[in-house]
Amino acid sequence: MFWQLVVSGLATGCVYALVALGLTLIYRATEHVNFAQGELAMVGAFLGFTLHVHLQLPVWAAVLGGAVLGGAVGWVCELAVIRPAEGQPHVNVFIITLGLSIVLKSLAGMVWSHDEFPFPPLFSPRGVRLGSVVVTPLNLGTIAVALGIMVGLFAFFRYTRHGVAMRAVCENPEAAQLMGVEVRRVYAFAWILSAGLSALAGALIAPVLNLSTHMGAVVIPAFAAAILGGWGSFPGAIAGGMALGVIENLAGGYLAAQIKNMVPFLVVLAVLVARPQGLLGEREVRKV
Amino acid sequence: MRTVRKIAMWAGAAAVLWVVKASLGLFVVNLLLVYVIVAVGLNLLMGFTGQISAGHAGFLAVGAYVAALVGTHAPQVGAVGALIAAGAAAALLGVAIGLPALRLAGFYIAMATLAFGVVVTEAILQMDVWTGGADGMYVLAPSLFGFPLDSDTQKFWLVLGTAVLAVWTAQNLAGSKVGRAFLALRESDVATETLGISTAAYRTLAFALSAFYTGVAGGLFAYVVSYISPDAFSIELSIDFVAMVILGGMGSIGGSIVGAALLTVLNQYLAVLQDFKALIFGLAVVVCMILMPGGVSAAWKAALERFRG
Repeated sequence: MFWQLVVSGLATGCVYALVALGLTLIYRATEHVNFAQGELAMVGAFLGFTLHVHLQLPVWAAVLGGAVLGGAVGWVCELAVIRPAEGQPHVNVFIITLGLSIVLKSLAGMVWSHDEFPFPPLFSPRGVRLGSVVVTPLNLGTIAVALGIMVGLFAFFRYTRHGVAMRAVCENPEAAQLMGVEVRRVYAFAWILSAGLSALAGALIAPVLNLSTHMGAVVIPAFAAAILGGWGSFPGAIAGGMALGVIENLAGGYLAAQIKNMVPFLVVLAVLVARPQGLLGEREVRKV
Repeated sequence: MRTVRKIAMWAGAAAVLWVVKASLGLFVVNLLLVYVIVAVGLNLLMGFTGQISAGHAGFLAVGAYVAALVGTHAPQVGAVGALIAAGAAAALLGVAIGLPALRLAGFYIAMATLAFGVVVTEAILQMDVWTGGADGMYVLAPSLFGFPLDSDTQKFWLVLGTAVLAVWTAQNLAGSKVGRAFLALRESDVATETLGISTAAYRTLAFALSAFYTGVAGGLFAYVVSYISPDAFSIELSIDFVAMVILGGMGSIGGSIVGAALLTVLNQYLAVLQDFKALIFGLAVVVCMILMPGGVSAAWKAALERFRG
């Protein structure tokens, strides 16, 4: 029972981790908190779904295509509503992303309706017995894909020009600008990458939750995951996501089923009271 | 000149209320005034001390349920007693949230309060013996000094009186020692501390005060809608409140009034549009933020400056 809950919790946790990574990417590059992250995941998953159903693409190609199109949606969002607010306080941009999440959700409702759709899973959801634990290829595949993306991201930041430029902008946008980094292009790229990642996350969780416009609510556990791991830390987002997925599943299994939905909120409150910097985050030093 | 302007503003507010009443009915006017109290209270926290709360619907829920329960179980205390109890209960919770929030900055407080709001609605669901759980509960008509207030018109005078009192208090507070301490906190808490102002005390006070306003508004909300259930106090409502304050202009009491009125009326007019409602509402928030970063109050000041040349 215990390991069973841990394995399926890890699979959900990986999805939270991917959305939390998307949040962290945008935060680190632009210092903005993006409330529309969950809606980007939802729209990306719907785009993949459309590619599969209407263009008859195989599932894996449709999911990848959805991620690319989702990235494009992120770019459009950055150009249309974030860039015009350049230089405004972060609170204002936070409110703009709130508005953006409402807009994306209602647009998606108009295009695809607010009904639920069964999303074809990338891997078989039929269980395989491993000792006392039944694991599904879907669980394992989700974990594998998420881990692969994380390794890829790490390599990107470490070894590519774009990745290094992005890290430079994180450190100090002005200095990066003076060194010849196109800061605006980096901001746009952060949105594209972040939206693409979230679209993948959306396609990974859609077979479990069913595809619907309400899937954007995944942003809440993603926030909780990022805070649990340490807000603004990439390894923190990953660790926090996985930990949250497991905690949520264990609480649902051993305590009461209703408590499962409350876990993200209780985790946020507990972390902020006991250890605001999260598991892996750095303590903030405030200056005058 | 100042008195003329003041009179003009009050007359303008009365005219707006009259137009809203004529077009949307007295019920919407009452709702609008309740939201004005919330927005002004939230502005004391956000605009003055710079702490964002994304969970004020939670305080509103606490106030509404306390007022409803007092009305059911101890009707002899009347509306005034019930409203004070509602405000006090919310203020106590405000202190309970404000104390741990002392260690937190900016965005973290927003997330903690967001979580608080959800926990409140869940707690109301679980305490179904008193609250009726998901079925909600009916709110008995309150009585003011022995007179029952059961029509919308009678409730209007209660809500209006409370709203005017709330706005007047907030305006005076803004110029007082407490208000200046709040503003200093917003600019820099370290600098404030070095001036000998206790940041801990004032930040907690701001939370308590803001929660008190919202708790009282919650009690009035219960009277106005006369039936309450947990799903009325959603995250979306909390976010509407934040939008009211930001749209009106952080730190401006007048702005909060305008923001609350704008969003309430917008929501009512868009209700008939169904699918397009959310879209237009979201677009309105985005466009207003991009075009008027300082909210309505800053845009108004800029327009006045230009007019004077």
